[in-house]
Amino acid sequence: MSATQEDIKIGDFTSRGVVPRVYGDALLEAARADARIVCLSADLTPATETDGFRDELPARFHNVGIAEANMMGIAGGMAGCGEMPFVHTFCVFATRRPFDQVAMQIAYPKANVKIVGFLPGLTTLLGVSHQAIEDIALMRALPNMTIVEPSGTDQIRAAVRAAAAHDGPVYLRMRRADAPLPADFRERELVIGRAEVRRDGADAVIFACGAMVQIALDAAAQLAMRGRQVGVVNVHTIKPLDVETVIARARATGVVVTAENHSIIGGLGSAVAEALAEAGIGAAFARVGIRDTFAEGGSTPYLFEKYGLSVTSIVATLDRLWSSHGRA
Amino acid sequence: MVLPEFDPLVTDPRAVARHAHAMRRDVVRMVGVLGQGYVQQGLGAADLFACLFFAEMRLRASEPEWADRDRFLLSTAHNSALFHAALAERGLIERVRLDTYCVDGSPLEVNVSQRLGPLVEATCGSLGQGVSVGLGMALAGRRRGAPYRVYVVLGDGEMQEGQVWEAAMAAGSFGAANLCVIVDLNFMQVEGHTDRVLKQEPVAAKWASFGWHVESVDGHDVAALCAALARARAATDRPTAIIATTLVGKGVAFLEGQLGHNMKLSPHDTATALKALDAQTEATA
Repeated sequence: MSATQEDIKIGDFTSRGVVPRVYGDALLEAARADARIVCLSADLTPATETDGFRDELPARFHNVGIAEANMMGIAGGMAGCGEMPFVHTFCVFATRRPFDQVAMQIAYPKANVKIVGFLPGLTTLLGVSHQAIEDIALMRALPNMTIVEPSGTDQIRAAVRAAAAHDGPVYLRMRRADAPLPADFRERELVIGRAEVRRDGADAVIFACGAMVQIALDAAAQLAMRGRQVGVVNVHTIKPLDVETVIARARATGVVVTAENHSIIGGLGSAVAEALAEAGIGAAFARVGIRDTFAEGGSTPYLFEKYGLSVTSIVATLDRLWSSHGRA
Repeated sequence: MVLPEFDPLVTDPRAVARHAHAMRRDVVRMVGVLGQGYVQQGLGAADLFACLFFAEMRLRASEPEWADRDRFLLSTAHNSALFHAALAERGLIERVRLDTYCVDGSPLEVNVSQRLGPLVEATCGSLGQGVSVGLGMALAGRRRGAPYRVYVVLGDGEMQEGQVWEAAMAAGSFGAANLCVIVDLNFMQVEGHTDRVLKQEPVAAKWASFGWHVESVDGHDVAALCAALARARAATDRPTAIIATTLVGKGVAFLEGQLGHNMKLSPHDTATALKALDAQTEATA
């Protein structure tokens, strides 16, 4: 099959042409170094970039078919016998569908299973059946679960390494690279539980995760041209939340916006709000995210604009907070 | 993979039956204290458990976490009075701990929980999950060249859960020969007879069609069960499903066949049942 721009644009679970396989390569690298790592797929092997693993380490790979509940149980059993399974499917089928199996066979026994979900939030045109808008909320509610969402291609390898080094269940909310790597590509570190300050600013702070980190940085850059200094923190670990950093930045600025490619209910915004309220911090606060609604099938740029996951939305939200708190 | 020599603790079927009898006594006693519970299932499956724990599985009472132990998964985790009684009978937990069954704070919970420790391989109170976990353990053992086998006790009503068949299809496809499912075919679920809820026959043909070696046996015939388990061990290319027909309440005449999922057991009935079991002991002594 020849790779075309059309493949890259529409083929979000088939061929993607020349796009680099950053996740798949990172997993293989980790697996070569750690013989406990095994790979499970539920009929989405190329789409989750695990075909390289399948071909190089076939004895450590299983396609269990279109049966995610079974996959989670198998993974729990394998972990109970010393393996470190990385299980792969789309975010919705890793959380919404097999929630009970994840709870009982992975979270409860603290099984050393890494649940890797792809197509977070509105990054797929496949519609509501494939759009994970509440996966973070579901996984947050599970005791023992760690949730990591790298901010972009540049943090994928570090996320895989960190997950493998962490003893216990991890939900990796993964977005595949969707374009060739830029010439100045540099990888970023990721330490579980330690949020990454990407930009300083005294007028407000944006706590963002995943795809919203770059959008928050773009919003901050735009606001800087108007003289507003807005900080951006990449909260790649949504659980356990880096409460210390959240409180410190909220105290320093007094104006807090969260930004996530997820429902505003139960995700990063909720986690930050809970942390601030329990610490008694009375900052101006607003959540940018999917506003308690299902979305629809459509291109990622279209959906991000329509559902408020945008620079415009973040800027408008901050302007509203500054205005209503007498700091216009 | 080289299997260690099969070295059962007990080979005489009469000795296995005596252990089953002792477990039945514990089941009645444990449920009797509570006044209600899974007495019918426990009495019904006692012979299965006795075969597994005394004539089949390789376990070490002195070393419960032994890496090569055979894995036992109770997918019907509510059959917990029997499970805990089996652990005590086999010497894997102290018998005195049975007195804490369902007592607040005790790890001997009504749905068997991993709080108890390494002898509980998974927490399966949510029905339909045991075969999947067992398959994961079997695949891990196969890849690592580990000699253990995996045994899953599955309920018949539980087969209404779709995940059971996801696991059956995968295990058949993967040729997981070190996996053995024992279906406790007792025809009982919460709302009564299984056939009144959903038609489950043909059970054996269902498993066979998923690529499993199938054995259909009388779940109270210890010798037949042991022989079926031996043939399961000899199967090298596919998993085995032993369809064991059992009678709920088995061993206590007035309880036999009574379809009570979480049945009341009055002090009077408890005493009567224990007396009946003791009479059998004296008769066979």
